[in-house]
Amino acid sequence: MADKPKEQGIFGQLFGTFFTKHWPVWVGGITLGLLNILLFAIHSPWGASGGYNNWGENIYKLLGFAGYEGATATGASLYGMLCIMLILGSFMGALFSKEFALRIPPKGEMIKGLIGGVLMAFGATIGMGCTIGSFFSGVPALSGGALIFTIGLFVGVIFSLKYLMWEMEHFPQFSSGKSYIWLAAKPGKGAWQVWSGWILFAIILIVAWKYSPFNPVMTWFILIGFFMGMISQRSRFCIVKAFRDPFMTGETDGSTGVMAGLVVTLVGFTAIKYFGIGTGEVSLRAREMTWVFPHFWGRALLGGLVFGLGMTVAGGCAVGTLWRVGEGQIKLWIAALGFLLVSPISNRFVVPYINNLFPPEMRFRSFLPDYLGYTGAFVLVLAVILLWYWFVKWNEKTGRFTAY
Amino acid sequence: METKIDQTVDCKGLSCPMPMMKVAKAMKDLKSGQVLEMLGTDPGTKSDLPKWCEKTGNVILHEENLDGGVFRYLIRKS
Repeated sequence: MADKPKEQGIFGQLFGTFFTKHWPVWVGGITLGLLNILLFAIHSPWGASGGYNNWGENIYKLLGFAGYEGATATGASLYGMLCIMLILGSFMGALFSKEFALRIPPKGEMIKGLIGGVLMAFGATIGMGCTIGSFFSGVPALSGGALIFTIGLFVGVIFSLKYLMWEMEHFPQFSSGKSYIWLAAKPGKGAWQVWSGWILFAIILIVAWKYSPFNPVMTWFILIGFFMGMISQRSRFCIVKAFRDPFMTGETDGSTGVMAGLVVTLVGFTAIKYFGIGTGEVSLRAREMTWVFPHFWGRALLGGLVFGLGMTVAGGCAVGTLWRVGEGQIKLWIAALGFLLVSPISNRFVVPYINNLFPPEMRFRSFLPDYLGYTGAFVLVLAVILLWYWFVKWNEKTGRFTAY
Repeated sequence: METKIDQTVDCKGLSCPMPMMKVAKAMKDLKSGQVLEMLGTDPGTKSDLPKWCEKTGNVILHEENLDGGVFRYLIRKS
């Protein structure tokens, strides 16, 4: 349908608006923020590491490993399904824009994908959340631990980026070598990708509808997750990019896009918590403490640091990995596999040990309004975002911290 | 197109951030006016590379889609 632009109908033009060029990152950030508010209003905010963990548990259950019999089936797990939908939504976005292809990188890259995925699993389980739960949702949820997790992420990203630059300088062959590309659309062709996208869309609508009589929350999670995947793929919304690029090329679009999303989400989450929206079945206090995890500050700092190291080596955060899986980047398939296989093991064998290393005052729930009031907490979080904005813009101008 | 190519960076199969890192590093070693050829497959490059060139003053001389999902850029160092 996009083959002959001159004869495009009205709907063809509309389609072209969304699926010819990438969207600005801030468009992605704001729409993802709005959908995140919707998720919280319906049930609970966006998260990703719980989804990986659910998949991993189900695989171990399927293999008959002892201790995983109680795992929630992915079809009944809100976050297990949300994460699958993120992949499928991105898959549809990539098909509609004919950007889908299986991209198999050189061997060294696949090893980095695996190491990155494993580190992300340790980081997410120790830190109780990933770049979504403890950052993109956690910071607007007015969680003190999320702010600390963010500091950890920053430090991890900087170290990991230094490593990548060192590797390219001394072992350039590690990221070179044979690569394979399959199923790519030929220039000007590839209508099969667009049609496959429509078929996928229809299937998702049916699946969502099938849940509606007995689990309407799941219906909404499926649809929102699916659109979140598509939006992330089209806007290339990536939290690694937001943290890393200022220190790499000095680019700020990725960072400001994430900040735009954070600010929108901050307003929405604050309103939901302040007015106790959705307190029907749970208490106001439970609603306020949603996505405020007992990780302040030791577990958050350590988890964020490890997660930051991992996501930079992998080249995708929790959600950036998912939408790149949908786009056909095999390096991130391996990262996702490492993440989901190690997460349940880390939760069972590593986290209890780590938890005991920290005294209780280094792993408690810190809800900022308890100390600062709602206004103070809101202003503090907003100030942190503005400070970050000022830093990346100043750095872009001066090139003070950029590597290239 | 009879542009003399001074160096080629093959980024096929690589995903973000490797293509941009490789391009930026290769550019560092070129002299002003020299031309870098870049082959890649990561859709992200199509937004990242023009933005980066705009900022650094490097010029994209040529851009084309080849078979097999590969695209090719010719970039002249400013």
